[in-house]
Amino acid sequence: MVSLPQRMRKLQTKLLAIRLGSGAYVLPKDIKRIHMRFAPRIEGGHMGPRKFWHHELVRLKYHNPAVTMTVDRTARPEDAAVMSVHYTSSNPTLSSDSSAAGPAPVASTSTSSTLTETDANTTEDVRTIDMKHRTNSEILDELVRMTKAKIVEATAEEVEELRALEEQRVRGAKDSAKSLEVRARLKREKDLLEQARGEMAGQAA
Amino acid sequence: MAAPRYCPSCLSLASQTTTTLFRASTPRISPFTPPPQSLLQQPNQLRAASQNALKYRRKDVPASQKRKKARSTFLVPDLRNAIQFSLVEAMRYLRASEVGRPPTSSKYELHLRLRTPKNGAVVRNRLRLPHPVKTDLRICVIAPSDSPQGLAAKAAGAVIVGEEEIFLAIKEGRVEFDRCLCHTDSLALLQKANLGRILGPKGLMPSVKTNTVVKDVGASVREMAGASEYRERFGVVRMAIGQLGFSAEEMQRNIRAFVESVKRDMQGISDQTAKDLHEVVLSSTNGPGLSLNGSFSSGEDGGVGARDVSTL
Repeated sequence: MVSLPQRMRKLQTKLLAIRLGSGAYVLPKDIKRIHMRFAPRIEGGHMGPRKFWHHELVRLKYHNPAVTMTVDRTARPEDAAVMSVHYTSSNPTLSSDSSAAGPAPVASTSTSSTLTETDANTTEDVRTIDMKHRTNSEILDELVRMTKAKIVEATAEEVEELRALEEQRVRGAKDSAKSLEVRARLKREKDLLEQARGEMAGQAA
Repeated sequence: MAAPRYCPSCLSLASQTTTTLFRASTPRISPFTPPPQSLLQQPNQLRAASQNALKYRRKDVPASQKRKKARSTFLVPDLRNAIQFSLVEAMRYLRASEVGRPPTSSKYELHLRLRTPKNGAVVRNRLRLPHPVKTDLRICVIAPSDSPQGLAAKAAGAVIVGEEEIFLAIKEGRVEFDRCLCHTDSLALLQKANLGRILGPKGLMPSVKTNTVVKDVGASVREMAGASEYRERFGVVRMAIGQLGFSAEEMQRNIRAFVESVKRDMQGISDQTAKDLHEVVLSSTNGPGLSLNGSFSSGEDGGVGARDVSTL
């Protein structure tokens, strides 16, 4: 794959896949860190977190480059798979009404969010999501609900590009099938010739 | 592997094991499947074996076999149609692709595509980047640990310095370093210790030929720890240019140093072969390759600045 148009098409597909898709959300400004901890293998319900890392987290990182996102895969299979979201509330006096304490923790239906205050000077909210035995879309929904993230919609040009790329792919597949037929036919003829030549040479000798 | 064998009578694909039965028999053309024209003509001609017919047989070679004049330079793409990125944009995509990986394990790499003839001299050199990529090279120095040489080595960053204790450790099997240097005065001791059996196959045995027996150990340790080597392969120079944890400014400095060094090398051999820098592509261990347009950051990036890209 050397020609420039092919290279650009493949690149555009990949970049659009990073910009759009499941997980393309802009997080609110007060989130400063997302940390995930799960096991290196999927036994024990760790497939959801792993898929989340490969798909959704990539898009989240693209749209929120300032948020530190780390992954720790040293847990044992039986340990919990936990995502912790760290908020900043830089001014302690404002923390009572700041949106970091945010989406009414009392009314929250999820039983797994905890509120901790670590330091007297900088109150840091850490909320956790339990990821074990959950699919990556469920984890994403939970995160979006918790943080009130805004979805990133595809712009008109991007929709247009996606459509053009898809069309090109379909056309390419058809052309590829046709040329495969032609090549197979030519190859068969060539092989038959070679075989016949070989037999003739064997007979003549 | 032999070309696929076709059954001579029905011209279908036959398996290797059964065709031996048919080898001696003449090919009989089945009336149901008309064989291709070429096959029909040739065996009859050869069977006729008339010298005249052979002499006047058409000799034109099919187009695919005609000798093509090979290109003498590597192809370069026309960059007017290329989508290019500023450094900050490119780093944003690459950081997203590498999210969650340990910051020292994923590396950025730079590919410089050159416009050059195929058989000319190649660019090949070592360079010390302003921000070295692989910094955890463990160097062991064989010199008396209390001599000025030994102390200089420790100051320059050698992990293990010493003589007898190193020999003992190696004999026990504890080889905890990646490179080994030896001071010229300690060479005799090294030979006596007979470590060639253990270090030799690993490529760690200090010797005069590999410039690992030195007088000035401090300078050698520093040079060995920092230098990265690059060479041109098939018209492209590739080198690791940063770790995931580097900031945008550090990357910019590294990229500048590398491109400048390659340009200087190209000028040096320009009298023999004309070389020209054509395209610069930044990539990473798990990310796509993005062609750079030379600018640090573009204005309309949704407000993402160099600082945002520099946080992990």
